[in-house]
Amino acid sequence: QMWQVGKRQASRAFSLYANIDILRPYFDVEPVQVRARLLESMIPVKMINFPQKIAGELYGPLMLVFTLVAILLHGMKTSDTIIREGTLMGTAIGTCFGYWLGVSSFIYFLAYLCNAQITMVQMLSLLGYGLFGHCITLFVTYNIHFHSLFYVFWLGVGGLSTLRMVAVLVSRTVGHTQRLILCGTLAALHMLFLLYLHFAYHKVVEGILDTLEGPNMPPFQRVARDIPVVSNAVLNTTAKAVALTL
Amino acid sequence: RQYGGYEYSQQSGFVPPDMMQQQQPYTGQIYQPTQTYTPTSAQSFYGSNFEDEPPLLEELGINFDHIWQKTLTVLHPLKVADGSIMNETDLAGPMVFCLAFGATLLLAGKIQFGYVYGISAIGCLGMFCLLNLMSMTGVSFGCVASVLGYCLLPMILLSTFAIVFSLQGMMGIILTAGIIGWCSFSASKIFISALAMEGQQLLVAYPCALLYGVFALISVF
Repeated sequence: QMWQVGKRQASRAFSLYANIDILRPYFDVEPVQVRARLLESMIPVKMINFPQKIAGELYGPLMLVFTLVAILLHGMKTSDTIIREGTLMGTAIGTCFGYWLGVSSFIYFLAYLCNAQITMVQMLSLLGYGLFGHCITLFVTYNIHFHSLFYVFWLGVGGLSTLRMVAVLVSRTVGHTQRLILCGTLAALHMLFLLYLHFAYHKVVEGILDTLEGPNMPPFQRVARDIPVVSNAVLNTTAKAVALTL
Repeated sequence: RQYGGYEYSQQSGFVPPDMMQQQQPYTGQIYQPTQTYTPTSAQSFYGSNFEDEPPLLEELGINFDHIWQKTLTVLHPLKVADGSIMNETDLAGPMVFCLAFGATLLLAGKIQFGYVYGISAIGCLGMFCLLNLMSMTGVSFGCVASVLGYCLLPMILLSTFAIVFSLQGMMGIILTAGIIGWCSFSASKIFISALAMEGQQLLVAYPCALLYGVFALISVF
């Protein structure tokens, strides 16, 4: 009887394996290729007059998304972020994979509307490698807490990877309006995502109660410097409300 | 073909000599289709002879010699791994290591057995899919689970260290990074020798490093 259970499991596993097989060609890479593509993702191409080649592989982007998840987790743990509904791991994975798959699909849809020559796998690959800039920026700025440093990295590193993606897309689209729509959307989403990741996941997202212990701020420096301003404002309004009711 | 914990493939030449000698008294007396090797699972048809039953450990598929050999392979990162040692899927060793990891975390005040279990299950599944996609021959899930479980051993050293010292300083970061590198290096070494994927060791090591990084995150924080 256990044999039948085993057989059923094996056939289920086999059908799962058969489904995975279609992704097999996208994982056939060498380490040299991955390294070359990572470095290339930070260099905007100059020639936008003929379509640039995009490598349609999924290993690099998948690893980059997982790296981003790990960096987010590390950032959340070092800053003691408390997520009210949900888990740290689930939030990190949901955010990163949601961005990668969701924005890829959205830009692919826009590319379809704007007649750009790009396939879904290529879009996934392009956006995935664009996350390399995000990984570097977040890795550095989650550990060294200076807002100005983050802005420099945001514009510099984030800007470079966005420029590369934009240049590749521009080379594959005809017509000024279409180029503007497509690249504008992508640039905005990409840069805003980095901004969001920095500010949402490395500060304390706690309730109001903690701001009431104003004078006894904990010794380690929290990253988002504007929190005390917010908390002071909250404190003042709360105190005023309390005074009014009394 | 598969019984209990021992999966000797047809081409494997790795049959430990001591096991062969123990099989001789059994093959004549137990009703089995032509097998040169006595099955050790609980469902095989042993007669009512108590003396003819194999010892309990053999029946459960726990072979301490193999476990020790595999442990040594993990602990010496520069030693060349033998590709055939992973032919039998042994989950007893990894189970012990996971429990030991949870126990050392418990000693540090973190009751996180659930996290260890969940992360190892999801991580094994992810590595299984990835390795099946990247290798020419496929892998079985048991093999992946077994290798990843064995390479968890250095992580146990890290969490033991975390009991007495806090790992959040610079020293802790360096130690954590070193242990993660050690674990993923051994795991990738065993994987590429078992799957004959030359030149892709870094590509296999990186996802292992991410997985062990999450374990390290549990140990450190």
